[in-house]
Amino acid sequence: MAGEGEPGSEKSFKLLGILDVQNIPCARESVLYGSLGSLVAGLGHFLATSRVRRSFHFGMGGFVLTTLGCWVYCRYNHAKLRIQQRIIQEGMRNKILYESSDFDPESKQNKSQGSHS
Amino acid sequence: MAHPLQLGFQDAMSPIMEELLHFHDHTLMIVFLISTMVLYIITSMMTTKLTHTNTMNAQEVEIIWTILPAIVLITIALPSLRVLYLMDEINNPYLTIKAMGHQWYWTYEYTDYENLEFDSYMIPTQDLPKGYFRLLEVDHRMVVPMESPIRMLISAEDVLHSWAMPSLGVKTDAIPGRLNQTTFTMTRPGIFYGQCSEICGANHSFMPIVVKSIPLKLFENWSSLMLS
Repeated sequence: MAGEGEPGSEKSFKLLGILDVQNIPCARESVLYGSLGSLVAGLGHFLATSRVRRSFHFGMGGFVLTTLGCWVYCRYNHAKLRIQQRIIQEGMRNKILYESSDFDPESKQNKSQGSHS
Repeated sequence: MAHPLQLGFQDAMSPIMEELLHFHDHTLMIVFLISTMVLYIITSMMTTKLTHTNTMNAQEVEIIWTILPAIVLITIALPSLRVLYLMDEINNPYLTIKAMGHQWYWTYEYTDYENLEFDSYMIPTQDLPKGYFRLLEVDHRMVVPMESPIRMLISAEDVLHSWAMPSLGVKTDAIPGRLNQTTFTMTRPGIFYGQCSEICGANHSFMPIVVKSIPLKLFENWSSLMLS
């Protein structure tokens, strides 16, 4: 009991002191892709126009948009995965409860296969 | 339970708390991006040689910084309302437990089938066995069956109290003469800690809440044992 859950045992790295990129799902990928997007947008603009200040602005805009886009996409897929996990869990629980009873979905499948053959 | 110096949420032990954690992550990312942008703008303004001392109007930027924050607020509000309405869904609870706040202990009543009622006092530090949590342990824990929707009816006998359980995402005021209802489902077995969250006198900090979640079969054994 004494050593459980101490701050040192859980790795966490918080960007700006708030965003824990190691423990929040999709955060690390979003920030990494955002940094890449920032680099591409900023560098690309600079190579095209040689305007330093404005390239930094584009880099910042690229970071925000890429991070946000990646975050929304990843979280949406993560939410779909969680819903599927819950459905599977419920199905597994019901399988054990309903095995060999009238509610057993496997027995319904076998009956329907039997009637087709 | 919480570890020392913990700032963030505890792990979620109910579906609603999982949803709250996800909403918090979503909002935190938006806050992080806004903070980064503001820091960048401040740095940019501090490092420019450009000056303009007679701005008369700036219609375009006024439109942008009206519309964009409105969009950000809507992006935060929609998931927030979703979680809010999820918390109010009717879920056919299997069990109803009444929690009554007193100065300075809780009483739990399981009156669905038999009249099971017991008080839950904090274990004083001098009586605490080794390895137990100081100011958090109680003599009689509230035991609930896991993976079953539970309805809690919370009230108080004397002054305001509040029944709070961070890992379940529950904090409900206990008001004398009023019944407040909350529902939750424990997804995992274990022992979870909370504390009274409404100032109620000298020992407000010394009336903790401990919930023990066990499989239904063991819960039936426990309730028979408590009734005998």
